Amino acid sequence: MHDALMLLAALLASLAGMGWLALSMDVHWTQARAAAPQPAVLVTTLRTLGAAALTLSLALCLAVDSPSIAVLVWCMTLAASTLTVAFTLTWRASVLGMLVFWTSQGAR
Amino acid sequence: MFPQFRHTMAWLHTWFGLALGLVLMVVFFFGSLSVFDREIDRWAIPDTRYEPQPMPSFDRMLKPIFETVQPNAAERAAVAGLVDGPLPARFDTARSWGAYTTHRDPVLTLFVGYQVPNAKDHETAVWANRTIDPRSGVALPDDRLKIGSGFFYPLHYSLTIEWKQVGYWIVGFAALMMLMALVTGVIMHRKILRELFTFRPNKSAQRSMLDVHNLTGVAALPFHFFFAFTGLVIFAYVYFPVTHTQLAPLHDKHEQVEAKQTGLPHERAGSAAPMASVDAMVLEAQRRWAAKGMAGDVGYLNVQHVGDANGYVSIYRAGTDRVQLAGEGIHFKASTGTVLREDPPPTLVARINEFLTGLHLQHFRHWLLRWLYVLGGLAGCACIATGLFFFVEKRKRQHAKQGVSGARIVDALAVTTVTGMLVATLCMLVANRLLPDSMPAGWPWRGDMEKYCFWGAWLLASVHGLWRTAPVAQARLAPAWREQCLAIAALAVIAPLLNWITTGDHLARTIGAGYWPVAGADLFMLTGSVLALLAARKLQRRDALRAAAPAPMLEAGHA
Repeated sequence: MHDALMLLAALLASLAGMGWLALSMDVHWTQARAAAPQPAVLVTTLRTLGAAALTLSLALCLAVDSPSIAVLVWCMTLAASTLTVAFTLTWRASVLGMLVFWTSQGAR
Repeated sequence: MFPQFRHTMAWLHTWFGLALGLVLMVVFFFGSLSVFDREIDRWAIPDTRYEPQPMPSFDRMLKPIFETVQPNAAERAAVAGLVDGPLPARFDTARSWGAYTTHRDPVLTLFVGYQVPNAKDHETAVWANRTIDPRSGVALPDDRLKIGSGFFYPLHYSLTIEWKQVGYWIVGFAALMMLMALVTGVIMHRKILRELFTFRPNKSAQRSMLDVHNLTGVAALPFHFFFAFTGLVIFAYVYFPVTHTQLAPLHDKHEQVEAKQTGLPHERAGSAAPMASVDAMVLEAQRRWAAKGMAGDVGYLNVQHVGDANGYVSIYRAGTDRVQLAGEGIHFKASTGTVLREDPPPTLVARINEFLTGLHLQHFRHWLLRWLYVLGGLAGCACIATGLFFFVEKRKRQHAKQGVSGARIVDALAVTTVTGMLVATLCMLVANRLLPDSMPAGWPWRGDMEKYCFWGAWLLASVHGLWRTAPVAQARLAPAWREQCLAIAALAVIAPLLNWITTGDHLARTIGAGYWPVAGADLFMLTGSVLALLAARKLQRRDALRAAAPAPMLEAGHA
């Protein structure tokens, strides 16, 4: 049960990481937050958060499994997260807005 | 210079991708199903629907069974042409006995290799395979096909074309071209990071297909690369067959030298010897694994030179807790039970090989990773399929204008390999539930009939695809796609329903009992049915929109 929760956390961290990296791109930021401003400092913050979340995801995978399995789980988690973020941006882009809840909404 | 290089890469990617994409589609799809091959076996053979079992007692159960196993008619036929004169009615000298199981197997696979008297090549062996219930020792009937591990899995790596190993070569070449397609694809893709998360379904069909092609290709790029590469590594002995061709004498000599070094006899001594307790050897092997901090179960047990003074027993550990396919083998003298050898730690090269093969063959116990592998495999299927769609979409108007049927032929082939393959797979599962328990006299075996249903359904789907893609020649959407999606949607409901009717195992029961091999197979098919229905609806809408819109280019094409 503990391992399952840790892996779930790894999946969520990976998903959030990919989400933040996607939102650091202007085209996806516009999809999720419409006219809300995206200052340069926010782009840096999003990239840093994305990298940190992906690193956390790897650490969680390593905490559950032997390194050889953990690395595979993490790589495949990245693929799953990329696809999930891409399809979320296509059909429910505003959902990704929750990853940047602290920023202003802007006009939609 | 660079654009020209990129065009060259595009040419390679397009044409090799088209030619071998059809093969790769089969490889990826059945590879994805093979991740759960043992579970599909449970669905297909209801008598085996119980929990995975450990290796049973050798002394009490397996030895008496091994002593009675003889090759069946099909296994005898496989070697009939390799001997001078007729085959004996009964084979007496067993070269080896093997028992193999995994943490996902309720059943145990046994195989016996017999010496063949009067064989043209002294190394010829006739194999007798049996599958038993390890709780009782009762054998499964020979005519049962393990659809997952015995058909979908070999289809994945050999297309089941065993003649001269042609199937392995086709798949190997396709895997090599897959690596090439990945490299050329990355070179062609100008905005690999900028468009990493991009899918625009509301743009043109051509654009949205390319988006999915890029997305599924790039998101799972490490998976695609490593699986194509490790697949080649696993069958390197097929693709570089030097040890049994040019270097055969050296290979044979090496075997003898290696036998001397390891102390594991290469040949029979020629004098009979009784067998000591193998169960005691198993306990000793498990004690040694535990002492190394690798406590584990037996995955594979082999007795070499059965009944001979040179006989030895090799016991290998099941690789459930690591990626590497490492057996940590311990070998015992069969007649006394003394340890002859404990496999030393592998060399660096051997460790790399163990990791690469283990990564692909996935003996580990990790359900999340298994599902992520399925996702990677299906992403590969989506990548290949959208590549084919893109090819057709890009050319069909031009071909319609020119009056050539290239796009139509490719579309028919794509229908065959994408939806046709799914129709055939589901028809096989439906046939598995509808065929009588044993076929009447004079009919092929039940398992063979299931295979014929698979190939027959695929052939029919192909003919349907060829027939119902005619509108592509006029730059229209082929109705074959929608019709086969509807067939998939229906079959993917019929198969679980038949499972319920013929076995009583409906979803409420299997989920309630936590029997996920069968529940998972049913849920997977039902999910597929919903997706196929959605795809059919989308295709109908798109066709209706196109029919409502004027088609100036089409008219121009006819002018």
